[in-house]
Amino acid sequence: MTTYLFEQDLITQKYRILVAMRHDSLVRKIARELDIPVQELRRYLIEHLDMIQLENLPARAEMADDHADLGDAIARALGREKYTIYLRILSGAAMDAIVNEVNTRVHAGTPVDDAVAYGRTQVREALKL
Amino acid sequence: MKRIVDVNIPLGPIHPCFKEPIRLKCEAKGERITGAEVELGYMKKGIERIMKGRPWQEVMFLAERVCGICSVIHNMVFIEAMEQISDISVPPRAAYLRVIANELDRMQSHMLANFSYCYTIEHETLGMYLLDLREQVMDELERLTGARVTCAYIIPGGVRCDIPKKEAEALLTTLDRMEADLRRYAGMFEGGPMIALRSRGVGILTLAAAERAHVVGPTARASGIAVDCRTNHPTYQKLGFLPITRPDCDNFARVMLRFDELFQSIGIIRKCLKELPKGIVRGGGVCKAGEIRYSGEAPRGELTYFIRSDEFGRIVEIQIQTPSIMNIEACCHEMIIGSDSIADVTSTFVSADPCVACTER
Amino acid sequence: MNILQWIKNKVRSRSIHVAYVDVGSCNGCDIEVLACLAPRYDIEQYGIFVHNNPREADVLLVIGAYTPGWEEKLAMVWDKIPSPKAAITIGNCPISGCLFDRKGSFVDPPVKKHIPIAAEVPGCPPRPTEILQAILSVRDTVFSDWEEEHP
Repeated sequence: MTTYLFEQDLITQKYRILVAMRHDSLVRKIARELDIPVQELRRYLIEHLDMIQLENLPARAEMADDHADLGDAIARALGREKYTIYLRILSGAAMDAIVNEVNTRVHAGTPVDDAVAYGRTQVREALKL
Repeated sequence: MKRIVDVNIPLGPIHPCFKEPIRLKCEAKGERITGAEVELGYMKKGIERIMKGRPWQEVMFLAERVCGICSVIHNMVFIEAMEQISDISVPPRAAYLRVIANELDRMQSHMLANFSYCYTIEHETLGMYLLDLREQVMDELERLTGARVTCAYIIPGGVRCDIPKKEAEALLTTLDRMEADLRRYAGMFEGGPMIALRSRGVGILTLAAAERAHVVGPTARASGIAVDCRTNHPTYQKLGFLPITRPDCDNFARVMLRFDELFQSIGIIRKCLKELPKGIVRGGGVCKAGEIRYSGEAPRGELTYFIRSDEFGRIVEIQIQTPSIMNIEACCHEMIIGSDSIADVTSTFVSADPCVACTER
Repeated sequence: MNILQWIKNKVRSRSIHVAYVDVGSCNGCDIEVLACLAPRYDIEQYGIFVHNNPREADVLLVIGAYTPGWEEKLAMVWDKIPSPKAAITIGNCPISGCLFDRKGSFVDPPVKKHIPIAAEVPGCPPRPTEILQAILSVRDTVFSDWEEEHP
């Protein structure tokens, strides 16, 4: 009776979820926004989210588009609440650090667009871990 | 997803409390649940992939078989989406008959959900009462549509068959009897001290978390969000429909809300039968090319079809967003976190009325 | 037939434990199995108990066309059931795949390929009475005189 618990490899099944119509367009949109290869993002999502979260990505993204970070333009451009509490692909601490750094750069006189672009590279770095 | 946890307790895929296979890997610290990971893939049939490139006549039956419990609403939402694409008008009598079929389907689904919850908290008597009542609803559904489960009652431009006067009267009599029984069972659930101990304050889903996860249906309405797609439906607007909410956010509220909705459904059917207009029930029409996003209120919540069709009425692209996706997600990542014991996990999970066949399609 | 076998036959005819496993159906057959529990059909009056626990089951009801998630797992569930045992498929899906066995889908019917099946109940979905009748007929043919036939 001492057998190991059987754990199935779920990568193909998770991939099947991600290539459905709305999931695919969402993943492509995020990949374009952060300028990372689509397949890399898919791999990251498959490794970090479970299957029901993957299924629910479009619905959560829709809510994030309507409700996330309405008061803060920089945080919205970086997708602070969208990536942390809605889609849950980044931890809150990492995102807060990035947003703080971008904010200090903006206060120091960097143009907003450049600072946000820098913030996006940081998000990209955080996703590659 | 690799994480180091204290104790990992897998529930399922075969579990006495779950009707369908799903695997919950609960992470526990002592008895307290700190997280859960869901493993699906036991029911993935790839319905959306089969639907692509097929004419609507075939997709209609496939849509019905996305979920066997709420098959009428899947039929209704798909057909109404095709009607919106191709500008097909529905005879008024058929629109009312659709509402009757849909509400009967909602009643049987809610009774099944409440049966499952009572069965999970080991109140088998009340569960069996509800299951017996459900058989009477199934009889009425069979009398109206001709089949118990997958009935394909709704077609573009109307419904398949009319309801004779005699059967309408029989339906009204059954509704009276059912309402009396149901009032007794709802009272039993509401007043049961042991049920309250097992359900009140368990499985809290706060308003903010519910909004973030886009929770829909009775699960959302029991958390105080007045979201119901029936308010956007023209026939329901004519009937003066208003959604019911409860502010308590726990298992008890979710089950009681379903009881409340059962009474509401009985009221809607009565009103439909009273106001039922005379006329034809089948108008016919030709499905055309177009693209649409159309939502309807399934027993479990908002059901959305994203459809693109070509000029021959074939489906080019389709995606179905079923209510169970959002509800199971919120259930597994919000509701069961912080439960005081493993025993509450199953009852909390069942209280959200999960339907795995919908979730995976 | 010796006296021990007679007693075993007698007891077994009134005590059948059922487990059901859904290997990818639309859920319609699941609820028809659940409807068998209802007081109208009352499955327990025949001595059939639905527990959904493979380790104490005699009869396994298999519902649905076979999905990739059940590879190896269905056979594991079947191995865990103590003999004498029998598997019954409910609905069209385990027999032919019903609507789902088309180009592009993930299912792999029939279930017969994966575990031995004693009886099949066609229908989409079958009525509860038909499911009940199938279990009762399997009880008589598979479980009586089992020890004598398998020494």
